[in-house]
Amino acid sequence: MSLPSGHTMGHTDQVVQRRARSWDIYQRRFSSRSEPVNPGMHSSPHQQQDGDAAMHGAHMDSPVRYTPYAISPYNRKGSFRKQDQTHVNMEREQKPPERRMEGNMPDGTLGSWFKITVPFGIKYNEKWLLNLIQNECSVPFVPVEFHYENMHASFFVENASIAYALKNVSGKIWDEDNEKISIFVNPAGIRHFVHRELKSEKVEQIKLAMNQQCDVSQEALDLQRLPFYPDMVNRDTKMASNPRKCMAASLDVHEENIPTVMSAGEMDKWKGIEPGEKCADRSPVCTTFSDTSSNRNSILELFPKLLCLDGQQSPRATLCGTEAHKRLPTCKGSFFGSEMLKNLVLQFLQQYYLIYDSGDRQGLLSAYHDEACFSLSIPFNPEDSAPSSLCKFFKDSRNIKIIKDPYLRGELLKHTKLDIVDSLSALPKTQHDLSSFLVDMWYQTEWMLCFSVNGVFKEVEGQSQGSVLAFTRTFIATPGSSSSLCIVNDKLFVRDTSHQGTQSALFTLVPTAFSSSMPAFSQEQQKMLPS
Amino acid sequence: MRKYRSHWYQGDREGYQRRSNYYEGPHTSHSSPADRTREEVVTPTLPEHAATRSQMATTLDFKTYVDQACRAAEEFVNIYYETMDKRRRALTRLYLDKATLIWNGNAVSGLDALNNFFDTLPSSEFQVNMLDCQPVHEQATQSQTTVLVVTSGTVKFDGNKQHFFNQNFLLTAQSTPNNTVWKIASDCFRFQDWSSS
Repeated sequence: MSLPSGHTMGHTDQVVQRRARSWDIYQRRFSSRSEPVNPGMHSSPHQQQDGDAAMHGAHMDSPVRYTPYAISPYNRKGSFRKQDQTHVNMEREQKPPERRMEGNMPDGTLGSWFKITVPFGIKYNEKWLLNLIQNECSVPFVPVEFHYENMHASFFVENASIAYALKNVSGKIWDEDNEKISIFVNPAGIRHFVHRELKSEKVEQIKLAMNQQCDVSQEALDLQRLPFYPDMVNRDTKMASNPRKCMAASLDVHEENIPTVMSAGEMDKWKGIEPGEKCADRSPVCTTFSDTSSNRNSILELFPKLLCLDGQQSPRATLCGTEAHKRLPTCKGSFFGSEMLKNLVLQFLQQYYLIYDSGDRQGLLSAYHDEACFSLSIPFNPEDSAPSSLCKFFKDSRNIKIIKDPYLRGELLKHTKLDIVDSLSALPKTQHDLSSFLVDMWYQTEWMLCFSVNGVFKEVEGQSQGSVLAFTRTFIATPGSSSSLCIVNDKLFVRDTSHQGTQSALFTLVPTAFSSSMPAFSQEQQKMLPS
Repeated sequence: MRKYRSHWYQGDREGYQRRSNYYEGPHTSHSSPADRTREEVVTPTLPEHAATRSQMATTLDFKTYVDQACRAAEEFVNIYYETMDKRRRALTRLYLDKATLIWNGNAVSGLDALNNFFDTLPSSEFQVNMLDCQPVHEQATQSQTTVLVVTSGTVKFDGNKQHFFNQNFLLTAQSTPNNTVWKIASDCFRFQDWSSS
């Protein structure tokens, strides 16, 4: 649906700003891995400098070698963790060279090391963040192997009491946008860490796992369940031992195999498609960020593929466990069977509503078949609710769940174009917001086209003048003369918008089913068009 | 035949109720509740006269079609949503082999894909508050009797919040001398608040 009102030209500026900020983050992720603060530890010569800051070989000439990405027996959660894969979207271009490295660390003791994670810490400069934490932390600490992985910032500390002290800092520090910074603490295990070249069959396994298991698009980043080792926990492919390669491989599959992660409108927005640009097949549909908190928005800005936070705000968040394989598919925008039919339908709708809103609906006679049918319904029962702008539709509302009398049922179904246009003319005067239209073309044969339009309109006269209602209208049409459509069935459903939150989100030019292919006309322009 | 028609048309509700609850194949003369296939939408077959194209019969025919559409729609909606909620695996029996579903903009086509789709959908609790239907004009269907069914209400999928929904179906009739079995040719489902879902 439409963006909140007032969101007009600033949109482009914001896009530019977002891109600038995103570039900073991008650079941070690809800059050389920062040196550990502790001078006693340094990178091994094997450490590559091509800049994947998120991954590191963890070869250090220290007495205790540890492997942050190894899997301890406690951390095999069973299912293939894909949370972090969904958020990796920029590393694709930097595939690390394949090479073999021998793991040569002895097993250390469990529990001596702790991994400290700052969620979304990628936003923060390392020194700034560490200073901020240190200032608040009651004990001095030595961060080891500070790195960014996916969206988070992490480092290690060697001591349980230090880890505990750091945990207490969580929520007591704020960033420059005045947002609280959280700190998560988890024990870090130690294991053999063996690099291994990923064979293509492993890549296939990744693909398969991704497709079969949780629908990635539904993945919610559940901050409460930040894993000890954020990468692949899949004992079958042994990918855990080489998270970097796993990540690279999973990135390869990510783009191709994962269906739309976000609704078409959001995804296109992040791709920087300006209003008016065409999108193949899926017409971009304007969406509204219903959550207006700046925190959420700033995170979404940086990480377009992040769907939601914490799993609390998402209506579809379910845990990615072995049983939770049932997901609601992502809701998408308009569905058109083909480009040609799409143009036909959009053109039809534009013409139809031009007349419908013009004040004289007699012009619609030519749109209907002689023996067409029309009926109208509202979800409204006057006995239960307070009067609303739907009241005026009540007498025409045909709901056969409620109306059992065959005579009345017959009366409420309008038959023949004359009767139909007469009853349409008796309905309140409207102004439809074409930019809000969402179209589903759900059946077509060579003789019939069946599509449903969802959108909003405003009442432009009468007691409820200015009130906004939402509608779903289903048309069944046959091919008419000169590539037009001839309506044989017309079913209108009108409802209010209260539970949708679109009351203020109207009448702005945003990418929708319409904007992508033809301009929406202003009222004045519409009057000037030949009918 | 005429006798049959007027008998039916005058609203032989009792007879209708009896017939519509179970399936009578042409080869069976008796049916018991045990033969009942719950996942079938069945209504009495219209008499042949309803299929005539004479202008004079049009008005009557239309009313007949309207009534037939209502019966099919009511029967259908009861069975469909109950099956969806309680016997999900049987749901695709209500669909034609080549049926399509557009679910919140996601296209699903053919029985295999539909089976898959309904299998991965969480368990549901539907509440239908509005039902309407129209007979689809034969020009669009090439005389394949078809009914447009439109529903609205609320649904709660397990693990998700409740949504208002709108749904459209095209039901096509497969008639035998004794009965008409209705199947879904196409299905379009949308949350009303899909964009914030």
